[in-house]
Amino acid sequence: MTYDDKLTRFTSHIEEGGKVEAEDWMPEDYRRGVLKFIEMHANSEIMGALPERECLPRAPSLQRKMSLAAKIQDEVGHSQLLYRVAEDLGKSRDNMYADLVTGHSKFHNVFHYPVYHWGDVGLIGWLIDGAALVTQAALRDSSYAPYTRVLKRICSEEQLHLRHGEDITLEMASGTNQQRAMFQDALDRWWLAIIHFFGPRSKPDKDLLLRWKVKTRTNEDLRQEFLDRYVPKVLELGFTLPTPVPHHDHESGHWLVRDEDIDWAPLDAIKRNEGPETARRLKLRREMYDGHRWVRDSMAEPAVHTA
Amino acid sequence: MSAGAETQSVSKAFVSVVTALGDDELIIGHRHSEWTGFAPHIEEDVAFSSIAQDEIGHAAAYYSLIARLTEDDADRIALGRSRAEYRHAIVCEMANGDWARTLARHWLYDHADAIRLESLEDSSNKGLAQLVAKIRREERYHLIHADTWISRVAHGPVEGRSKLTHAVTEMFWSAAALFEPFEDEDLAGAEDLLPVTSPKLQERFVAQTTATLDELGMPASVIRTGADETAEFVASSSGDLIASGNDSDSGASAAASGGGRKGRHTSDFESLWDDLTYTYRNNPGATW
Amino acid sequence: MEVFEVFRRSGHKDPFEHVGAVIAPDSEMALLMAKECFVRRREGQHLWVTRRSDIHSFQDESLLEIAADKSYRFAQAYRDVVKKRDRARSRAQELDS
Repeated sequence: MTYDDKLTRFTSHIEEGGKVEAEDWMPEDYRRGVLKFIEMHANSEIMGALPERECLPRAPSLQRKMSLAAKIQDEVGHSQLLYRVAEDLGKSRDNMYADLVTGHSKFHNVFHYPVYHWGDVGLIGWLIDGAALVTQAALRDSSYAPYTRVLKRICSEEQLHLRHGEDITLEMASGTNQQRAMFQDALDRWWLAIIHFFGPRSKPDKDLLLRWKVKTRTNEDLRQEFLDRYVPKVLELGFTLPTPVPHHDHESGHWLVRDEDIDWAPLDAIKRNEGPETARRLKLRREMYDGHRWVRDSMAEPAVHTA
Repeated sequence: MSAGAETQSVSKAFVSVVTALGDDELIIGHRHSEWTGFAPHIEEDVAFSSIAQDEIGHAAAYYSLIARLTEDDADRIALGRSRAEYRHAIVCEMANGDWARTLARHWLYDHADAIRLESLEDSSNKGLAQLVAKIRREERYHLIHADTWISRVAHGPVEGRSKLTHAVTEMFWSAAALFEPFEDEDLAGAEDLLPVTSPKLQERFVAQTTATLDELGMPASVIRTGADETAEFVASSSGDLIASGNDSDSGASAAASGGGRKGRHTSDFESLWDDLTYTYRNNPGATW
Repeated sequence: MEVFEVFRRSGHKDPFEHVGAVIAPDSEMALLMAKECFVRRREGQHLWVTRRSDIHSFQDESLLEIAADKSYRFAQAYRDVVKKRDRARSRAQELDS
């Protein structure tokens, strides 16, 4: 069969809702596209551990100290699952990790920002994990089957994280004025980044991942789902949302954000790996990685057992 | 006291000993948790985080044991005391350093802990004995984990082996200071709270761990020469230790590594305590 | 280091299932890592790890297809049992009368 014949068959297969496995024939742009997408997801999970681990030392109770550590542990576990899936598409984990720490590959925008206090923990656990869950639940329909299989576990753990984040937020929201102020402060700093998280309006003709059904929904569609679900929940707790301020459209029932209110400049900077914390966090990872080559060497071979 | 509580009164010795046990676990758990997201191998990151969580959980259990009997709160004990009130051994508060130092401390600590937990299971205090039995079940994994890593690195390439040897030697007597007598240890002994004295347990610790180090080819003769050794040791290319001949003050003397049981801590604990207690301290009365 | 595939089983009802993989230098470390990566919520009481290189499959999985009629291996082939019971009962009644 010629390449074109295979491509035609593959394209119909995808259009009919067919799934793809690691061993199947796939066009190069499918392989490259899905690898890059999953690699970025894996990178995001391991980079996402960094802002949250910065909040761990100051956890306000023993239970929260353990549960936050467990949550971050889950995120690292997610990166482990995702790198494994990506490896089977032809790139070693070592290479993916090297590309990450040298700034050659990307990770989600939200993990380029600083954290300041426990209010950030509530916000990240509730709204950022909430946003991630919206996109990840949609990805369970992806054409790439190995990805959908790990997403099943990832989504169920993210559900737990969401409840954990909401629990933390509700405690603060019901607490002292200072506690409420902490959450509001976090909201004021993170809101725009959350809007950016979904990306700018999708361009279906140019979007390879949409064409190949690796992604099945547009960015603006996912963002709208997030807004409709979470804006009322935030407002009913008596918090306010900064620019871009969502307003309720009574006709459609949607919570809408005006395009002209969204400043995309910070996201553009992040795409160049120039976010507020990007350089520092990547440098930290790089130093850890370089300084521990001896550990990888010690792990390279089966143990030598003395008699 | 809550309904149904034992009529066993809360002795000063009980509070001293159990607070110190909880403090050791909390502080080392805090240090271990700093590796979350950063460990040198992703699967190990996940595994080591469980160990950190376990230690913090043990601390919570120890503090709860006290809190129930003194009408206090475990979080208040964990996060609400002044620096000088913490009674953990200094080895727990030391900065993590690199993975070699972390492994060395993990191995030394968990073996010390195993020795004292074994003895505490015979404590006259039933609540403590039962808790210790439960903790020992979790600690089995910690020991296997530590032993597997130490063995692997000790038998592996020379760079890892020499870093590990250096770290173990440097920290050894600080770890042995886990057996520095508790405050009110005499009272504890009299009550049979502590079936075996701390100095006796320390002997066991030193004997067991140095024997294992010898077996691993990480000769422990330098460690055995004693607590007041002040010469600096460097690793040779084969990973063995040789005295550099310097009379520097960087030796691991017991005097420098002890004092934790009396609330004397190092500058490492200053920033640790600041972080540990920060949110709790700055929001009195708040629930989280 | 190599990939070790991880299997776990809970209780007695179900067989081992494949849950993922770890990268480890040997089976001893693979087990320690698999415990925390795949059983930290006590999802299983039994754990296996095996080198990926020890797992084998057909190059051509179309060999697993059923080409010709093998209906005798399926319960569907015996769907007409109700009719057959009726027929047998009628025959028995015939004999009685």
